[in-house]
Amino acid sequence: MESRSKKIEEHLIVEEPFYLEQKNELTIALAAYRNGIPLLLKGPTGSGKTRFMQFLAWKLGRPLITVSCHDDLSTSDLVGRYLIRGGDTFWMDGPMTLAVRHGAICYLDEVVEARKDTTVVIHPLADDRRELAIEKRGELLTAPPEFMLAVSYNPGYQSVLKDLKQSTRQRFIALELNYPESPLEINIVSHEADVDENMARSLVRIAEMTRGLKDSGLQEGASTRLLVHSGILMKEGIPPREACRATISEALTDDVELIAAIDEMISAVF
Amino acid sequence: MTKEQFEDRLWRIIPPDYLNEWEQEELVSLVAGFDRSLDDLIFQQIAAIWPVSTALCFSILEELDNTLQRITPDEVPEWVRMILEIFESDGLRAARSFLADRDNIYFQRLRGQGSLSFEEVSARLLPYVRGVANKNLLLEPGPSASTDTATIFLPREITSFGDEQQNFLFYKLIATFQWAFIEKDLYCQTTDTYIDFCSRLAQNYNTTPVAEEIIVTHFFSCFPQPDLAQEIYCLLQTVRAASFLEDYLPGLMGDAQCIFSHLASLEAVRSIEEPVTVIQKIRHWLLRFCAGLTITDVDKELADVLMEMQTLSSASIGVMLATSRVYDQCCKVEAGHVLREPFIFQGAFHAAAAHRARLARREENRTQFVEALASLFLPGADKADDSTGAEDEDSPTQQVDTSDSGITLMQFEPGKEEEQQATGETRYIRLEDQDLEIPDDIHELAREISNDMGGLPSAYIDSAQKMAGSGNFHHGTQSDEAGEEVTAGEKTYDEWDFRRQGFRKNWCHLIEKKVTPTRGTFVSATLEKYRGQIIQLKRQFEMMRTQHRFMKRQRDGDDIDIEALTDALGDSRAGQAPSDRLFIRLLRDERDIATLFLVDMSSSTEGWVGNALKESLIILCEALESLGDRYAIYGFSGMRRTRSIIFHVKDFKEAYTDEIKGRIAAISPVDYTRMGAPIRHFTEILARVDAKVRLLLILTDGKPEDYDDYKGEYAIEDTRHALLEAKSAGIHPFCITIDREAQDYMAHMFGEINYAFINDVKKLPLRVPEIYRTLTS
Repeated sequence: MESRSKKIEEHLIVEEPFYLEQKNELTIALAAYRNGIPLLLKGPTGSGKTRFMQFLAWKLGRPLITVSCHDDLSTSDLVGRYLIRGGDTFWMDGPMTLAVRHGAICYLDEVVEARKDTTVVIHPLADDRRELAIEKRGELLTAPPEFMLAVSYNPGYQSVLKDLKQSTRQRFIALELNYPESPLEINIVSHEADVDENMARSLVRIAEMTRGLKDSGLQEGASTRLLVHSGILMKEGIPPREACRATISEALTDDVELIAAIDEMISAVF
Repeated sequence: MTKEQFEDRLWRIIPPDYLNEWEQEELVSLVAGFDRSLDDLIFQQIAAIWPVSTALCFSILEELDNTLQRITPDEVPEWVRMILEIFESDGLRAARSFLADRDNIYFQRLRGQGSLSFEEVSARLLPYVRGVANKNLLLEPGPSASTDTATIFLPREITSFGDEQQNFLFYKLIATFQWAFIEKDLYCQTTDTYIDFCSRLAQNYNTTPVAEEIIVTHFFSCFPQPDLAQEIYCLLQTVRAASFLEDYLPGLMGDAQCIFSHLASLEAVRSIEEPVTVIQKIRHWLLRFCAGLTITDVDKELADVLMEMQTLSSASIGVMLATSRVYDQCCKVEAGHVLREPFIFQGAFHAAAAHRARLARREENRTQFVEALASLFLPGADKADDSTGAEDEDSPTQQVDTSDSGITLMQFEPGKEEEQQATGETRYIRLEDQDLEIPDDIHELAREISNDMGGLPSAYIDSAQKMAGSGNFHHGTQSDEAGEEVTAGEKTYDEWDFRRQGFRKNWCHLIEKKVTPTRGTFVSATLEKYRGQIIQLKRQFEMMRTQHRFMKRQRDGDDIDIEALTDALGDSRAGQAPSDRLFIRLLRDERDIATLFLVDMSSSTEGWVGNALKESLIILCEALESLGDRYAIYGFSGMRRTRSIIFHVKDFKEAYTDEIKGRIAAISPVDYTRMGAPIRHFTEILARVDAKVRLLLILTDGKPEDYDDYKGEYAIEDTRHALLEAKSAGIHPFCITIDREAQDYMAHMFGEINYAFINDVKKLPLRVPEIYRTLTS
């Protein structure tokens, strides 16, 4: 028991994560939290969804349990299972159960990737019942007011097999986190990568150029995270063009022509 | 030529008093050593080198004989330029060692003179330009660089440099400069106080300028010498663009320094024969500025003007002002004026072309805006009656008279007007004592129109009102068609009328026809053309099929699921009933997808598009056969609501045989694009297919449109509604649309994530299978 309570404390975020608010997302998320309504974050990859959750958890002083969903994630991975140790069995809480027991924030990253049967646990937790049934133990947990469920997904992926069902999405308060406006993004990049403002401005300029390429076959433009990566490489003393090539053009696509075009943008700016 | 004549010529270039006697002797003997046919060339070169460095001139003349064994006399100026460049950047010693190195890279390069054509660079430059501009600009080859603000024209070929990289860089530089001109409003297309300024100018010079329609031409004609004014104006705009790029794209300008210094040395050689004019000073200054060389002295007044160009913000009025100042300076100093070729990167100035592009854009914006606004008015459509005809609005000839539209602005409420002026945006329009807030999607359009016309012309809003008001369409045109063709198996479908928010019952008659297969080389040619890609696709698709997916926790299977077993063991030890699902099974065929491909066979697909569509169908079928997904292919087209035709190519049960291949090859453009009824028809068919995932993939080229009133918003809304119906029937509709540019209506009609847009027909055949793959994996 002791080991478990220690574990939940590890999820507490002690230092303030760096986060700059884009619009009103914090106000809305806090209101949702106060009223026990789960949160749905939408947005392209690398736009700050996970960081926002860390910031929210820090603000609320609650532990944050993040589950990165994959296509083999089953209900017992979320809820928990019996394990054997030295001839004895003991129950091991899954991340979701852990969060409900301790009033933590449970964040399911890329929820559309998870197996469809996980909705069985998500649904009763996400509406006003706020219940988690642990079938194997015959236990029915009711989430304390401190508990919050949050999920995220990227609407940009077009697979018809991976879409959030209406019955699921309509249980959430949805926030869209897109790439920040340029002054804000410059600020974020210069802070995160610890580069000067001019460097950050140039990086954001490149990103904005790539984001305009959707019609030319690029699925998504350079994310804020990529910019931070480039900034970090440059800080390491790697020449800007090489840094950007490694972090932006090669990371974005395999299409030779597009890589060349993005390289041209990079060499135009740096 | 006698010795006297010869020496005379020499001393005209080099004043002999600068040299002592033995130097004179040496020079004469050096020059005299060459073939007399080279005299012109040599004198020209001496004129270029002498003012730069006397010592270098001697060195070059000494080496020239050797050099002439390697290169032709025509290439000598280029060689001299190269040496001068080295001298200017690295000094005499470097230049001499370059001379001494008789097999240097330069000669190697000259022998294999490289060139780069537009075709070779456009694939790489187009996304670059679009990314930089954040606009869907087009690239076209042209006689010289220029832009009409919608298309950037680039030279067909660049041979300025020996190696490909430099030439590409030059291409990139030219394209970027042309974009900077668009960005910096070279053609003065955003309204400002130009007209007043011009009339004052005309008074000042006592001229009668031409009409104001094209503002820049009007401006030039205010001067006694319009040519000179144009040259100065373009040059100053180039200065402005260059300093903007220096700041915005420092990397490019840094890379391009070598190009500029190359141009600068060309210019230096040329300018020696001509008197130093103000314009030449600016040209020198510009090249040296861009090349990062020390700026040569320019007089105070010119320096002021150039400084101003570097700090100017958006409006071109500052450039106009500066033009008149420089013009006066020119006229003060020299009387005659020789027009100079613009720089290659600067390109030609085509005011008329830009004007045409502007009008085209204005017309497009107008149509879009009116349509968008009409839909905004619609909820309250009853307040406008339908007495005025809508047909006027549809015809492009009924264009808004643009000459006065800038004056008849909308009335703004005083308070809001201030707000608008402060933000520089138009957020509200006033209509029948009601303020209407412009929604975001129209807002962008409205801002563009405001920039162009100085406000939202009330005529636009009137048109929108009329369009929204005249909800009833004219059905009379159908009567002549009635009963023309009734085929067995005909079906009727409803059509959605967004104005009444209801269906027109049994509105559209649908006829199914079989496609008669053709025997030709199309199929085999396609298979041959894409042989490599098809093999690759087949492999990729096969991998999707045999996705080795372990199904965990099965009642029976190939292996024991250790995880489940420990779970069960744990459960049973804890006194729980253990699960009997303890096996892992390898699942090979979990795909249960049925896809219906619906191909647009309207006449607009004729030619390239149609062929690419057929090619993509062939490739797709090949790939799908290896995947094993069920699929059907139908075409659709139609002429009026009484004759919407679907063409049967392949249904779900038919196998992919030569017969089917022949039918695909036989697909050919027919009539118009009436999409609603076919979508509804296939929704019905797909709904009856037993599959986990049902996909309706529509391949089309642009807007739905029929011969009758099925066009514009009605068509878009009907199609949208049909797609929504399909969605609610549990079918996933997805549209692949081919168009030159992404249109605003697409996201609305297809739904934000339910369409893919392809702007390059050549990419279609391979993009379609790729899209299918992403969609279903």
